[in-house]
Amino acid sequence: MNRKIIEELKALLGSGRVLTEAEELICYSYDATPKEFMPDAVVFPHDAGEISKIVKLCLQYDTPLVGRGSGSGFSGGSLPLKGGIIASFTQMNRILELDEENMFVSVEPGVINADLKAYLSDRGYFYPPDPASYEFSTIGGNVAENSGGPGAVKYGVTKDYVAALEVITGEGVIINTGSKTVKNVSGYNLTQLFVGSEGTLGLFSKITLKILPKPEANSLILVSFDDINNGYKAAVKLLRLLNKPSMLEFMDKSSIESVKSYFKSDKIKIDGNFLFIIEADGSRAEVDKSIAEYEKVLKAFSPIFIFSSGEDEDKKEIMEARKAISPSLRKYGDFKINNDIAVPINKIPEMLLFLEEISKAYRVPIINFGHFGDGNIHVNIMLHKNDAEMMERGESSKYEVLKKTVETGGSLSGEHGIGLEKKEFMKLKYDGYYMNILKNIKRVFDPGNIINPGKIF
Amino acid sequence: MENNNKYKDASYLNCVHCGKCLPVCPSYNAVLDEFFSPRGRIRLILTDNGGKLPLKASKIFESMSSCLLCGRCVKICPNDVKIGSLVINEKIKLNKYAGNFQPKEKFVLKALKNKRKIILKSALKIANIYPVEKLADGYFPEPEGKSFIRNRDLIFNVSGKNILKAGYFSGCVFNNIYPLVSLDTITALTENGVAVFVPQAQGCCGLPFISSGDVKSFKEFALKNATAFNGENLDYIITSCASCSYSANNLYPLYFDENDEGYSEVIKFSKKLINIWSFFKEAEKIGMEIKSGQLKKETDAVFHIPCHLANAAGFKPSSPNERLIGEAGKIIDKIGGLKLKPLKHNYCCGNGGMLNIKHYNLSKKITKRKFDEIKESSPKEILTSCSGCMFSLKDQKGIFKENEMLPVSHLISVYAESLNNKK
Repeated sequence: MNRKIIEELKALLGSGRVLTEAEELICYSYDATPKEFMPDAVVFPHDAGEISKIVKLCLQYDTPLVGRGSGSGFSGGSLPLKGGIIASFTQMNRILELDEENMFVSVEPGVINADLKAYLSDRGYFYPPDPASYEFSTIGGNVAENSGGPGAVKYGVTKDYVAALEVITGEGVIINTGSKTVKNVSGYNLTQLFVGSEGTLGLFSKITLKILPKPEANSLILVSFDDINNGYKAAVKLLRLLNKPSMLEFMDKSSIESVKSYFKSDKIKIDGNFLFIIEADGSRAEVDKSIAEYEKVLKAFSPIFIFSSGEDEDKKEIMEARKAISPSLRKYGDFKINNDIAVPINKIPEMLLFLEEISKAYRVPIINFGHFGDGNIHVNIMLHKNDAEMMERGESSKYEVLKKTVETGGSLSGEHGIGLEKKEFMKLKYDGYYMNILKNIKRVFDPGNIINPGKIF
Repeated sequence: MENNNKYKDASYLNCVHCGKCLPVCPSYNAVLDEFFSPRGRIRLILTDNGGKLPLKASKIFESMSSCLLCGRCVKICPNDVKIGSLVINEKIKLNKYAGNFQPKEKFVLKALKNKRKIILKSALKIANIYPVEKLADGYFPEPEGKSFIRNRDLIFNVSGKNILKAGYFSGCVFNNIYPLVSLDTITALTENGVAVFVPQAQGCCGLPFISSGDVKSFKEFALKNATAFNGENLDYIITSCASCSYSANNLYPLYFDENDEGYSEVIKFSKKLINIWSFFKEAEKIGMEIKSGQLKKETDAVFHIPCHLANAAGFKPSSPNERLIGEAGKIIDKIGGLKLKPLKHNYCCGNGGMLNIKHYNLSKKITKRKFDEIKESSPKEILTSCSGCMFSLKDQKGIFKENEMLPVSHLISVYAESLNNKK
């Protein structure tokens, strides 16, 4: 890399906002995947004008530029694969405008999802997308990866809320997409093209999101079945209700076993072969009515355990059981291949059986849980880092899982993105013609191939 | 000392760099640069111990020394990475071969070793007479009167049956700078029928030393304190300073092992030392009735929960005030005329880990955020129970105008005042 660009960046931003020492850069060399790459510099832009100038410098010096929020992604989206400059958006964390009449909020990309939720909640509003990382991931990262979470079953994912974007393209030009309207048919829908583009088409400087009125109350049910088919049928029935759940999380046999020995509770029982955590939200009366209705549906399928509550303490305990999965996995291995496949809902039982077979055939523990309502299964293949032969078996089983996912008509990634982690698997799903369309789109926005190069394809 | 196993904690290997620790870290939030974050510090420690990349000791120290040892990241870490003690271990390691102390830090540490703190107190007095704070970045607390403990052991007797006998550990600040807190603690205890013994041989809790990586002095102080209280038949050893209890309860056991001189005394001391609020809860369990007091003038206050203040294991709140602030809520319940207002986030005050001495400007950014939160509750008074927090909270330069500054007191002082009013 030409060192001159560093001098120019320092002249532009001041030396306090340009990091170049190895000790500092190493703190930007990773995300939540096991991979790491050192950047050559880290910069902290404060507005669209600065970002535009940074992009132009990178173009001039042919230097890669990678946007980064909290670095909490699971696909390598913010890793500087080819070195170059990291643009950290952490200092662009202002909430710019709350438009109460039109029900939109505009934010800078570095706002933490939970901070936005709290800001809106104080004012009676609600921003639903809830990736597991919502307490620490940024809105910019959420939009770039089109993040989703448990609430997707009722409220959808990030893409369903992004109304307009201010984007700096790979040529350093500031463009504005979308509008503060629900209806908008005027040329290609570039807003939605940028959502989930994994930071490869441009850098965001302003994000306008649709917001909802805040639900007044919620209650949870924890229910478990011995018979997988019964559990499946009960869950599908819940999805057909007019007042469908706002969360329908499941744990299969593998994750129930994993949590059972790790998480102890007096109130709830972690047992059986198919366990669900179900939420109803709305007004207090609606919630109580929904919970009664859900319970009636569930009980018809002979659950082995059912517990429901609207009390904060109980709800916390139920969610703790769900949260305990990740740390409980450590006993199976020190290296995790974390897949977030999504399959059509009616293929979930078939997929879970398949995962059990693969786990046996390749002699690797595979722990599964996920979001039933959208067929999003977190498939965790647990390995030992120092066992090279096992690591190989792990990679082979990953291939089998993704191949099967494509066969069922599903998606390689439900919410983490392709990034570096799954790019060699894209060919399982797409042919050369399709991949070329993606590459050509990238070329339009980023002719110099400087914005997050080497990701997706 | 070098063969201490706990000392070689390798829990940094468990870090999966998920990022969960970022938003809870006070220093990260002040600058939003990951170099000053728990995840960044763990990565530096990992790299420095793995040897893949040569790193500059002074630069690593800059990141480590911005850690407040507040423990928020440790609590939230799903993989049990012991970030606070790992940072301390790294500082100990770097301290061996790097001249990392700033002159101000060196002066403070040296002055704390002086038994009667004459140098420290004189320096603080001079600093408050001449406006040196305008010349140097920093805050210089003004000592309130004569030291609490001087040349001899103090004994405060009470009459009655089945009385509890407690030792009192003052800590440097409540002995030398805010000695009234010590007197008020004694009042609160004796009024409730607790006899108190105060050995003059006690010293600093050691936290400023270990925070700077000086494990040798830390252990000398730990042993000195354990020895000072040893031999007396005490039911409890009580402190009113949250940081002193953190040092003795949490850190003494980490840096002593069986091979160390005085190991059993130090562990005994560590187990017996209890913070004042836990003491009242304990004493109530064994039948003590905590006296109620009354303030002359009604007042609204917030209680800043010190990061180093811990509730006893198994604590379950039994009143609204306890739900808000933990065990200290019990004493608020006993003070007539004191209304506790909630704080939304319970942010850190910015003092921990000697931050106000090493990185004054960073520390003040953190203090400012604390005051943004305090202002939302618009109290008339700020209460707390830690000497370090009192320093940071009293330093309201640039936050309030001179005449709008909020008084900062130790909650035990308000309680003692309310008891005196009832007499």
